[in-house]
Amino acid sequence: MRVSAFPLKRKQWEPFAFASPSLFLIALVILFPLAYSFYLSLQNFDLAVGPERDFVGAKNYVEALFKDGRFLGSIWNTAVIIAPSLVCELLLGLGLALLLGRMTRGRPIVTALLAIPAMVSPVMAAMAWRMMFGVKYGAINNLGRQLGILDVYFDWFATPALSIASVVLVEVWHNTPFMMLVLLAGLQSIPQELYESARVDGASPWQSFWSITLPLLKFTMAVGVMIRLIDLTKLFGLIFVLTFGGPGSSTETVAFTTYLVGFKDFRMSYAAALSYVIVGGVLVLTLLFMWIQRAREARAA
Amino acid sequence: MAIALERPRVAAARLKRSRLRRRVGAVLTWVGVAAALVFFLAPFFWIVTTSLKGNEDFFAYPPVWIPLDASLKHYVGLFTRSSGARYFTNSMVISSLSMLAALVVSLPTAYSIARWRFGGGLLSTLLLVLRMLPAIALIIPVYIMYKLLGLTNSYLGLVMLYTVVYIPFAVWLLVGFLRDFPIEIEEAAMIDGCSRLGSLVRVVVPIIAPGMAVVALFAFIATWNEFLFAVVLTGIETKTMMVLVTSFTSGGTDMFYGEASASVVLGVLPAFAVAFMLQRYLVKGLALGGTKG
Repeated sequence: MRVSAFPLKRKQWEPFAFASPSLFLIALVILFPLAYSFYLSLQNFDLAVGPERDFVGAKNYVEALFKDGRFLGSIWNTAVIIAPSLVCELLLGLGLALLLGRMTRGRPIVTALLAIPAMVSPVMAAMAWRMMFGVKYGAINNLGRQLGILDVYFDWFATPALSIASVVLVEVWHNTPFMMLVLLAGLQSIPQELYESARVDGASPWQSFWSITLPLLKFTMAVGVMIRLIDLTKLFGLIFVLTFGGPGSSTETVAFTTYLVGFKDFRMSYAAALSYVIVGGVLVLTLLFMWIQRAREARAA
Repeated sequence: MAIALERPRVAAARLKRSRLRRRVGAVLTWVGVAAALVFFLAPFFWIVTTSLKGNEDFFAYPPVWIPLDASLKHYVGLFTRSSGARYFTNSMVISSLSMLAALVVSLPTAYSIARWRFGGGLLSTLLLVLRMLPAIALIIPVYIMYKLLGLTNSYLGLVMLYTVVYIPFAVWLLVGFLRDFPIEIEEAAMIDGCSRLGSLVRVVVPIIAPGMAVVALFAFIATWNEFLFAVVLTGIETKTMMVLVTSFTSGGTDMFYGEASASVVLGVLPAFAVAFMLQRYLVKGLALGGTKG
């Protein structure tokens, strides 16, 4: 970092003045509502009942964490969706990054084409896949029938397990490209000389993958997985369009359950408490993420 | 003598084998890439062809993979019957305004961080935490406040929220571009009597304009794609494309409607444009901003 060569002309208030518009807006539109939301979570404000409210202390939090089977179930559902999604996204993303790394011609165009799903909104991704999954007129069932693989009109959201598998499939389709891009960037930063000297020493491609690529890609993979993990805790749009939490409440994620409590039952205080439970979880993951990044910087230095 | 003759032959055979292996490798690479392209692009193929089909082709078996009598009538229907024109305009206006506002507010902050290390580690930690913050935690209090202030179902409320939510992302990317900017050029301008703000606007901005365009496009697409805030805060007049699209889901699992697919095609168009224009920045843009929720 270069520091300005104008120490005399530098005015002490300038850095703050330049930063103040966004700091003010962040305080007004994000920090103040969050503080208000915490205050709200200690009350029993319910729009369906009326405007009157009382201070109830930690009652909402106790209910959320120990009594509310639906919310606890949604934590489980979220984990059940996240785990296979992360594994598939990492493995597929790594495979694609390695494939793209081997390409000698046409890599930019193929990369751009493969990146498109990651740029699409979750709602649009889910809509496109709902049309693919359609029971009678969807592309998958019809292709399956044409090829003789399927002989019935298959409902891809019939049972809880199938529904979760379908959601995972769409999520993997949606975000594997992100993992692919991150890992491709990581691959390209590995010096080629390492592979050349390994080859001279008689290492097989498999050996150089295990002892060069994977160790050097470790941190990149960790960062990519952490970003996906944190964003997956917010899974909402995909669920809203694909299953609306069903069948039953088998695909209700934490964000979706909180949305239903807040904007369908209008139990605002309880929804605020639920959202703070989610924030707590995300904060823990964010600290872990920062710790990984610091470890990477320490390793690089 | 026999061994001496043998040696070049063995070498030639080995060379041939390695060349063969390389060719097989190249073919396998292409097979893998082709399979990936089919998987990742198939849904787009399906919605585009569906949006062009005639009404009876939706129900046809064997399915119509490539509509021969393609027409744009579902797009016309979307724009006239389903108020698609209005919601498309809403999305455009809201995204453009948020993008501009986020850029204007973020630039001086990014400058302050890049030039003076304003805030140090604390500010960058705050920005990271804000980036990770779940939208659901923000929408509950914001909904109650907007209700009180009468800001629901208005452009202003949504634009303000989007602007602020994308400040961390814009600041972060802009700091990167500003750090690459040579400080000497600015100092030359200030020797000539330019103020700090003047040099930022007249000297720095024109030079880092391409970088700002990258930030702007990412902010645009992030706002365009946003769903949770939009579905809670918009009413019948201010719905965005994302909210419009979900209104077609009432048709059960079989949504063969042309207008639904036409609206999806319009909804994903910006993503296509950005994926090709911003290729170099995709990793950064997705990691910092991403498509949330």
